Amino acid sequence: MKLRHAKTRILLGSVVALAIASSATGQSTTKIWTSDVVADRQRLMKLNGASWADAQAKLKAGNAEGVAVNAETMALIATQILPLFPEGSLTDKSKAKPEIWQKWPEFESSVKNYAMQAEKLRDAARTKDLAATEVVAKEFGRQACGTCHTPFRVPPPQQQAPAPSQPPATR
Amino acid sequence: MELRHLRTGVILGSLVALAAVGCATSTMTTLGSGDPVADRQRLMKNNGANWADIQNKVKAGNVEGVAVNAEAIALHAQRITSLFPEGSLTAKSKAKPDIWHKWPEFQASAKNLENRAGTLRDQALAKDAAAVQTTVATFGRDACGTCHTPFRVPPQQPAQPRS
Repeated sequence: MKLRHAKTRILLGSVVALAIASSATGQSTTKIWTSDVVADRQRLMKLNGASWADAQAKLKAGNAEGVAVNAETMALIATQILPLFPEGSLTDKSKAKPEIWQKWPEFESSVKNYAMQAEKLRDAARTKDLAATEVVAKEFGRQACGTCHTPFRVPPPQQQAPAPSQPPATR
Repeated sequence: MELRHLRTGVILGSLVALAAVGCATSTMTTLGSGDPVADRQRLMKNNGANWADIQNKVKAGNVEGVAVNAEAIALHAQRITSLFPEGSLTAKSKAKPDIWHKWPEFQASAKNLENRAGTLRDQALAKDAAAVQTTVATFGRDACGTCHTPFRVPPQQPAQPRS
């Protein structure tokens, strides 16, 4: 009987230790920016959009190599997307569709795909081959952004155009 | 006796649940390859490349274009401390052990980078060329240097920004 209690106690003790260890790991790395995940992920995705716009402007100017920094920025911040979509984080301001949580594995793989496409763009840019970089860039909107935005984001009222490099002439 | 066993079972069950939740959270927050030295070197390389891009743009008179790079540095800066877990010193790392001896100072210097990059971003968004140039002129010392000087082993020769 005593042995049995001792065994239970050892088991309990190790489970407690595991619980503490795992929640500690969870907490120390979960801390992300502000307490508002919707604002955080919108800020992150704005930087993605701005990096993509910068990459396009560079390509237009014939600067393939300069695209690498933007593509690597996108690849790096792609690794932060998933933790910014905790279950139930849907507010009026969010454009996320509930499908994200209903089809989490698909959401995960589309984020993974985005990171891979950004790395592909980066590697093409590093070769300084303008034509090769343009080939990847041409498909990027559909292959990288679209595979996630189409199923998982409420479309914006009108398609966002990349920021014009020159203000429209008004006279 | 049976009640007691039942209670133990309930406690055990809830602890197992807690452990499971904890593990699930930590998998969700995995940020990189599992190798913090490689991860932070990759992050800092991209910070350096964004900084080089900033300098090129300022030289070309493209002040507004600096904003995207400054924002990238500001967001990356928020990840720095989490990429320096205690004891993550390898032969490949240029980190000094002082990082962990003076952790609050290290945290403050990462925060300083975030703030300086945020300032630069805001000046660029405002298209304030004079302010951008002033910030850029001191960024190496006031943003990079406040952390690299005390906490990084100096490189053999200073890395040159790519043209």
